[in-house]
Amino acid sequence: MIDTPAAAAANPISQIERDTLATMTRTSWRYWLGLGAAASLVVLGGWAWSTMLRQGLVVTGLNSPVMWGSLITTFVFFIGVSHSGTLISAILFFTRSPLRAAVGRSAEKMTLVAILTAGLYPVIHIGRSWLFFFVLPYPNQRGLWPNFRSPLTWDVFAICSYVTVSALFVYMGMLPDLALLARRIGGWRRPLYRALSLGFSGTDGEWCLLERAYPIFAGIVIPLAISVHSVVSWDFAMTLMPGWHSAIFAPYFVAGAIFSGIAMAILLLGGLRRGYHLGRYIKEAHFELLSKLMLAMSLVMTFVYATEFFMAFYRGDSTEAELFRWRATGAYAPIFWLVVVCNSVVPLVCFWKRARRSLPVLIVVSVVVTIGMWFERFLFIVTTLAHNFDPFAWRLYVPTLRELAICLGGFGWFVMLFLLLIKIFPSMSVAETMEGEHASLGEGPHA
Amino acid sequence: MREELVAVFADPDGAARALRALHEDQVTTARVVSSAPFPAVHQTGRPGPWRALGWIALVGGLTGLSCAMALEVATSRSMDLIVGGKPIVSWTAFGVVMFELTMLFAGLSNFAALVILSAFTRRTVSRRARGEVTTDRLVVIVPLEGCSADREAAIRRALSGAVEVRP
Repeated sequence: MIDTPAAAAANPISQIERDTLATMTRTSWRYWLGLGAAASLVVLGGWAWSTMLRQGLVVTGLNSPVMWGSLITTFVFFIGVSHSGTLISAILFFTRSPLRAAVGRSAEKMTLVAILTAGLYPVIHIGRSWLFFFVLPYPNQRGLWPNFRSPLTWDVFAICSYVTVSALFVYMGMLPDLALLARRIGGWRRPLYRALSLGFSGTDGEWCLLERAYPIFAGIVIPLAISVHSVVSWDFAMTLMPGWHSAIFAPYFVAGAIFSGIAMAILLLGGLRRGYHLGRYIKEAHFELLSKLMLAMSLVMTFVYATEFFMAFYRGDSTEAELFRWRATGAYAPIFWLVVVCNSVVPLVCFWKRARRSLPVLIVVSVVVTIGMWFERFLFIVTTLAHNFDPFAWRLYVPTLRELAICLGGFGWFVMLFLLLIKIFPSMSVAETMEGEHASLGEGPHA
Repeated sequence: MREELVAVFADPDGAARALRALHEDQVTTARVVSSAPFPAVHQTGRPGPWRALGWIALVGGLTGLSCAMALEVATSRSMDLIVGGKPIVSWTAFGVVMFELTMLFAGLSNFAALVILSAFTRRTVSRRARGEVTTDRLVVIVPLEGCSADREAAIRRALSGAVEVRP
């Protein structure tokens, strides 16, 4: 990066371009270390999955009645992470927040990468992954057809729609930057950027169309993002199982998704800021805003946990009351209390202003929240199945090392895709950053 | 070759001042090419066919809704699904897929409309002028067809803040 103050003062717009493209043009040993670690996890997960493909679901700890375990937990977790990126970006766009130029693009990329990761897990979980296309509605000779009453079928439509729309949302916002890259970056990437920019050249008419089309798209993305996580929650809530059959599930999932997504966004943005010296753009104030939002979501989650327990004990359903008592005191109690500490207690540190403005503290809190949210998903999926109506069928579930390896592989896959994306596409919107910086300069040196 | 003046500006404020001067001289045909949506872009009075975008997204959304209804209703009736005595066509259950496809088609049509309309819009600016733009250079293009010598001189005066003015 050409980061001298003198150069910046001489031509701030060129400096912005250099800074915002820094993630693409500079590669440090830390990047290779991160990519190598992530790729190693992917190899580990891939190996574990290959053994599952050869030997079947017997290599997992799944049993009857606990037929959903850590793989579905990871699916729900990553759907949650994906949920908040696009939502944050679209909401920041509508509120004209200055935060968006710095945070929006990375959050959108996080969404895309997370949903591509999440989509792997139902395919892995079904065991015979090569037959996943059976869920798709297309004419076939087997006489099979998906039942449109099933939330699992809704899931397929919701996730496919969300992947497509999220990808287009990132792409649409990136068109001006791709046109810029087609002019500025040489080598094999130039024809790629030229093709991807779809001829965008920055005429006033094109800008006007883009500025009108983008809010329409953002308006489409917000309800779609909310619907995706609501549909995932209905995979559980539409059953009659204790602990799942609850009207609160959709908003509970949405709040949890935003919570885990913000934690992940803080981790990724913190890494970008540290790794590429982007403190001028990704500012302390941005992290403070995100931490306030994380704190608010933590309080919402605590309220939901409390409401679930209150309803379970108050409404007189003995099965549900027993389930919730068992969650807090039974075999999975350590996980329950871990979730409470991670999601309800630790984030309270964000009430303290110095903590909100300290990146190391926020990184630690975000890691804790990420762990807490994965275990929260695990807890409500597994405990309901392990301890439902029939005491005769109660059975514990412990994930095997291979299952855990597949889950870790998902985290590696997520990080690896994100690191590859920041190398191919800019992590901040060059056009929006220039527009914002120009507006903030006001009648400064250019007047 | 088009008869036009191509003025290159080193900063957005200079381009905005030139456009204001052109407006004062009743020149409203100027176009701007820039790498970011600076305020100068909004002063050209050439907004493009943006009103069509909302309608296209709406039509796309309704198409998606129709496709979802056709898919769910027609196939559920023809496939003899086992529904445990419940109605074959259940609008409550079908609503989710209808919503998803409505949003998907609205998004796809909005994006397609942006790409197609942008392609038509940029053809009104010469390729040479579009090629002049970089992150730190904006281009203002003023057509000169039918301009008198006095008017051309007034246009050149308005563009005097440019780094370079070329015919």
